[in-house]
Parts: sequence; structure tokens; C-alpha cells
Amino acid sequence: MATKDQTYTQAMSKLEKIVQQIESNELDIDKLADKLKEAQSLISYCKEKLYKADEEIKKIVEGEDK
Amino acid sequence: MGTDYLSLYDLNALVHRSISECMPDEYWMQAELSDVRSNSSGHCYLEFIQKDPRGNSLIAKARGTIWANIFRLLKPYFEESTGQAFTSGIKVLVKVTVEFHELYGYSLIVLDIDPAYTLGDMARKRHEILRQLEEEGVLTLNKELEMPLLPQRIAVISSPTAAGYGDFCHQLKENPYEFVFYTRLFPALMQGSQVEQSIILALDAVNNARDHFDVVVIIRGGGATSDLSGFDTYLLAANCAQFPLPIITGIGHERDDTVIDSIAHTRVKTPTAAAEFLVNRAGETAGILENITDSMVLSVTRRIEIQKSRLDTLTGRIPSLAATRLLQEKYRIPTLSQRLKTALSFRIATENHRLQLYEQQMSTVSPENVLRRGYSITLKNGKVVTDAALLKKGEKLTTRLQKGEVISKVE
Repeated sequence: MATKDQTYTQAMSKLEKIVQQIESNELDIDKLADKLKEAQSLISYCKEKLYKADEEIKKIVEGEDK
Repeated sequence: MGTDYLSLYDLNALVHRSISECMPDEYWMQAELSDVRSNSSGHCYLEFIQKDPRGNSLIAKARGTIWANIFRLLKPYFEESTGQAFTSGIKVLVKVTVEFHELYGYSLIVLDIDPAYTLGDMARKRHEILRQLEEEGVLTLNKELEMPLLPQRIAVISSPTAAGYGDFCHQLKENPYEFVFYTRLFPALMQGSQVEQSIILALDAVNNARDHFDVVVIIRGGGATSDLSGFDTYLLAANCAQFPLPIITGIGHERDDTVIDSIAHTRVKTPTAAAEFLVNRAGETAGILENITDSMVLSVTRRIEIQKSRLDTLTGRIPSLAATRLLQEKYRIPTLSQRLKTALSFRIATENHRLQLYEQQMSTVSPENVLRRGYSITLKNGKVVTDAALLKKGEKLTTRLQKGEVISKVE
């Protein structure tokens, strides 16, 4: 699942793995829904990283300029 | 006689004339610059020197002059062509005339300069630095670092007032995809003699907070003619090469790479291009994300389709299987009933036979047959009497014969 400390790169590699598992029929249909949920949460995490400013990061990175 | 000696002036004038007559040409001369000064009237005075290639001791030295009318054009031409300030310590190829002035003595008057020579010399020096870094095994270390998929937290090393820094921030902030970037400026001098030291200090500061950053961007640009020699030093190059975060340079120049460009993970020409690089990188990563999402939806849909058709196939097979089974059962019933019939009649016949046997046996011992043979049965109160001792006088007995009964009294 998407945790706060993971990097974008890590999230993407998790996502790629899930897609690969789905494509190669490695996943049970029973587990498909769970994996999809996980993928969905990773995708939202990545999108958030791309498009939404995180005040905490902003403070750490830009803090000293302001 | 009045002519057996010369005044100093006359002697110097003689030297002057001799030199002018013997060396009337213009000469291309290679030398190192030293003690370069220009005065308020725009003339440039300097020393040309030549060192012993093995040691560092001087083996030749001459005063040089570049008159203001020449210097005004020569300096910017040289600096624009080479990206190198016209200053002490560099090697130049200049066209000179040899002059001797009665008062000021020997000097070389510079008429022209060939920047290509200096460029060649600088390239040789840069090559030397790169070779040394390679020998030390650090040349490609920064290039070997992985550029994060999303270089989002950016340490910017720049002069705070540089136009290039403003361009960079603007370009990042106004990116058309609205990607988020975080930047922190680490101020450094990007021009003059302190470039090396200043950038190294800034790099140290970034390094102390390196967990908070994905990438370092070193930018300069816009404005005055450039002096890039500060970017061509061994110490700065060694620092950059071994820096733990990928470095992007955009130090705004047209000429060949500086050493720091060759060392950096990624080099672009201008600060704006550096920002574009970062935005494109984020764009690529957003594209990858989209592809992943699409291909996941596709493969999940396909997967479900496959399962559905499997289910359908199974469902379709059930009726025909059931029919076959029913038919089988249908045939089983008459067979079974036939078997049942046969088994039953056999059993009945057997039983009949046994019954007849029993009947026969029974009929020989049945009371009727016994009575017929002349025996009789004595009953008291309807019960068979088998022991005479149990009878009392006067009791009534019934005697059953083959035909009829006789009532009698015990005497």
C-alpha cells in the first residue's frame, strides 16, 4: 500500500509489478480485487506527488528561503 | 672629437632604429599572460612570460601593450570566443610588433589575438583534469547515479540575482502540466575568481541536507560576457563527480563543455533548458503512470473476460451433461426393474417351495391328524391336561375327539 515514506520511484516499481502479475496471470481472481485496490492507491499517491503540493515537503525544502 | 660617444638618448634611438629596420614585420607569438592591468584611458599593460616546461622558472619575459583602440575590440572578441576572461595565467597567441622606445624601452605591441589557440590550450587543461579524475576512478560517478523518476525537490546553486535563476524558477512554476516542484536556492558566486570555492561551499551545504533533495541544479546565465574558467578546475570537478545527488548543469554558454559539464549527470545549455529537462522528466513519468493505469485496466478487463467465457463454457456444458446423465438413468430404470422382477419371482418360487415343505411336515403332526388316528385331547377349563396328578375329584373335563367333544367328571 502507499505509505508516506515511499518514493515515487518505489511506488512506480510496485505498480509495474502488479500490472506484470495481472498480465502474466500470476494472480488469483480472488486476489485481483485487493491488488486493484492497492494499484489504485499507488496511482493516487503518484498523481498526488505529481500535482499536489505537500506543505510538509514545501516547508522542509523551501523553508529557509522564506 | 665630438662623435666618439653617444648620449643615452642617441644610443636608445639607435637601438630603436635598428630594431625597426631589422624587425619590421608583425609576428605571431605564443606566451602566457601575467600582471594584466588596464588603465582609465582604456590601454592595457601586461607582461608576457614563458616558463621552463619542466620547472616553473621563467625563461623569458617581455612587457606588452594593447592600445585602447585595439583592446576595446580584442577583449570582448576573445572572451566571447573562449568563454575565458582575458586575464593573467592563460596562454595566448597574439600578433605583435616589436617596439623600442627611448624612454620606456623594449615592449611588444599587440595587434591581434587568436582565441582558437587559447581554446586549444584550455581544452588540453580540461582534458588533463578529466584524465586525472578518470585515473582516480571518479570521472563517471555522478553520471552513474540514477536520476529519480520524479526529480521534484531541487537544490539550486546559482547567484540569487542572476536572470537565469529567475528564468529557471519561472519555467518550473509555470509548467503546462501543473507538476509540483520544490526548490531551495543555495547562493553562490558564478563569476570571477571565487567561483570554485563558492560552488564547493554551496555543494557542501546541499550535501548536509541531501535527504531533502532529489537533484542539484547548477545554473548561471544571462548578462555579461562570461568567464567560465572557474568551472574548469580540478577541485570543483572532483567535488561534483563524487556528489551523492545527480547534478544538472545549465551554465549558459555556447562553447564546448566545461569540465563541470562533462562531469555532471546531465548538462543542458541554459537555466531554462534545465527547468525544461525537469518538467519533461516529470512528464515522462506521468506518461508512464498513465500507460500503467491503462494497461492495468486492459489486462484486468481481459482477465475478467477470460474468466467469464470460461464460466460461460462451463455453464453451456451443464445441460448436455445433465441430459446424458438423465438418459443413462432412464436406461437404468427398466434394467433395474427387470432385474427386480426376476429376482422377486425367483425368491417367491423358493419361498413357495419351502412353504410346501413345511406344510407337509406340519400336516403330519397337526392335532387333526393325531385325532383322526384315534388320539384325543383332554382339556380342563380350555387348557390342555397332560398330568393326571394335577386333577381333582369332581372336576369337569372336556375331551376333544376327531369329531365332537365329550364332557366328563373325574371319579
